[in-house]
Amino acid sequence: MSKDAKLWAAPAVVVVAFVVVMLLGLVRPSLHTTMFTIGLYALIALPLGLIYGQGGTISLAQGSFAAVGAYTSAILTTRYGLPPALSVIPAVLLPALLAFVIARPILRLPELSLALVTLSLGTVIAVGLQRGGDFTGSYVGLSGAPPLPLVGKDPVAVAIALWTVVLLVVVMYSHFVRSARGRALNAIRVDRLLAEAMGVNVPFDLATLFAVAAGIAGLAGWFYVHSIGYIAPDSLNVETSAHILFMVVLGGRRAVLGPILGAAFFTFANDFLPGAETHGLFFGTILVLILLLSPDGILSPQAMRVMQKIFGRRDRAGKAPPAGIAEAKEAVQ
Amino acid sequence: MSLSATGVSIRFGGLVALNNVAVSVSPGEIVGLVGPNGAGKTTLFNCLTGVARPQEGRVQLEGQDISHLRLEHRVRLGIGRTFQTPRLDLGASVADAVMLGFYPRLKQGILSACLPFSKARRTEDDLSARARQLIAEFQLTDDPDSSAGELSLGHLRLLEVARALASEPRYLLLDEPAAGIDDVDRDLLAQAIRNAAGRGLGMLLVEHNVGFVADLSHRMVALVSGEVVAEGKPADVVADPQVVGAYLGVQSVAA
Repeated sequence: MSKDAKLWAAPAVVVVAFVVVMLLGLVRPSLHTTMFTIGLYALIALPLGLIYGQGGTISLAQGSFAAVGAYTSAILTTRYGLPPALSVIPAVLLPALLAFVIARPILRLPELSLALVTLSLGTVIAVGLQRGGDFTGSYVGLSGAPPLPLVGKDPVAVAIALWTVVLLVVVMYSHFVRSARGRALNAIRVDRLLAEAMGVNVPFDLATLFAVAAGIAGLAGWFYVHSIGYIAPDSLNVETSAHILFMVVLGGRRAVLGPILGAAFFTFANDFLPGAETHGLFFGTILVLILLLSPDGILSPQAMRVMQKIFGRRDRAGKAPPAGIAEAKEAVQ
Repeated sequence: MSLSATGVSIRFGGLVALNNVAVSVSPGEIVGLVGPNGAGKTTLFNCLTGVARPQEGRVQLEGQDISHLRLEHRVRLGIGRTFQTPRLDLGASVADAVMLGFYPRLKQGILSACLPFSKARRTEDDLSARARQLIAEFQLTDDPDSSAGELSLGHLRLLEVARALASEPRYLLLDEPAAGIDDVDRDLLAQAIRNAAGRGLGMLLVEHNVGFVADLSHRMVALVSGEVVAEGKPADVVADPQVVGAYLGVQSVAA
């Protein structure tokens, strides 16, 4: 496959999948809101895929960074009358700044400690939002956030706006992994001493990407609060962060499209599974099974081999392999 | 004009790893640093590359004191290195592994890396072509897109040299390049080192294998127990009684 095709394969898959689902939504309108939820999760999960899957830096704070973005915009629009078109800037910058400041001391920690530290950061943010009194709306949260600029409240328009942003992130991610910077980030994951020996400023690069990831989560939070009109401490929290990590790991942390696949799987499973209290059991079982078969998730080289074994006969018959495999191959390389 | 360490001392607790050691490499010169296990070779190597800081003395590049600079900064100043155990992503392609070497010279912005039709995108084809040239020159593999994990240890060492050369260093420091590789790869490696020196690179080989270094170096430095015991022409150093006593007595010169 040519270089250009490699760069544009993942964005093309996103566009096709989006158009197909939105057209199906003409028959079943609830799909439009489902698509919005998937897009929201995807937007928070994609940059985690970048820093975790490529950079080996885990974070359990993505949901909380989204909450910071959502609250920032909710407070500025409802209390200070700022239009959402302007409040988007601090909604992105504040979580990014917060992430950048805390990044330096924590990003040198090993994976498990880093998971715990980012998890407790989420807890601190949650407590802050709950105890913020009138300023953050305490346990009740804030309501009355104005609708999104340009697209308003129309579910189709909102979904299109959100997925346009998701598509932009996918385009940028696809290009990034095939650049000198992307190779440097992968070197950091493989071996930090190697990265340093290649001239990579490891602490600064990781802090910057950690901040970018938090900023994109903040943007998702902005989408959330201005489409739903309401935000509470429980809307985007530590549990969301855990779900986001689940999506990235399940979908395939090394693949550009892995987090989106994980987000779609999670959202559809949530919609179709009965009994919300048993969801944890289901997701836990699925995660264990997938990781046993393929430690790098669904979109990964190992999973491709498993799929090829299952569908091997069809391959030999000269037919094309299932669409998912070619795309997984593409996204992984 | 040289990369040099002067008066370098490092102690780990009560253990003296290096005691007032001086070593220098000039452009185009191949210097062999030999010594038995525990002589302080790796510690001195780490001082020169920036992994360790000398407690006394200093490291200079072209007369400029670089003792306080970190590894990644020294790489950007033109001090390349390889590792005793090759360090690379074995799952990535050989081409990607070599292309990582271009990083210190690029100064690419994160935004530029993300955008289509950017400057970073246009240089990508050029880098890929140059990496493929290096891969062909070093005879690493016929298929630059194959996984680096398929290469032999000797070829991984060669890959590290190719990757280090991609960053266009002025000095290249090799950590035990000949350890554990077969004769064919060793000859390829020796040729690569001679070629690089011929182009004006200063090379420092830290090596256990005295035979390999003696053939290759213009000058040899022998470390024993953290001190320089002999320095000069390879033949003289190899014959030095102190070196023979401390080191060659336990290992054949012909190794």
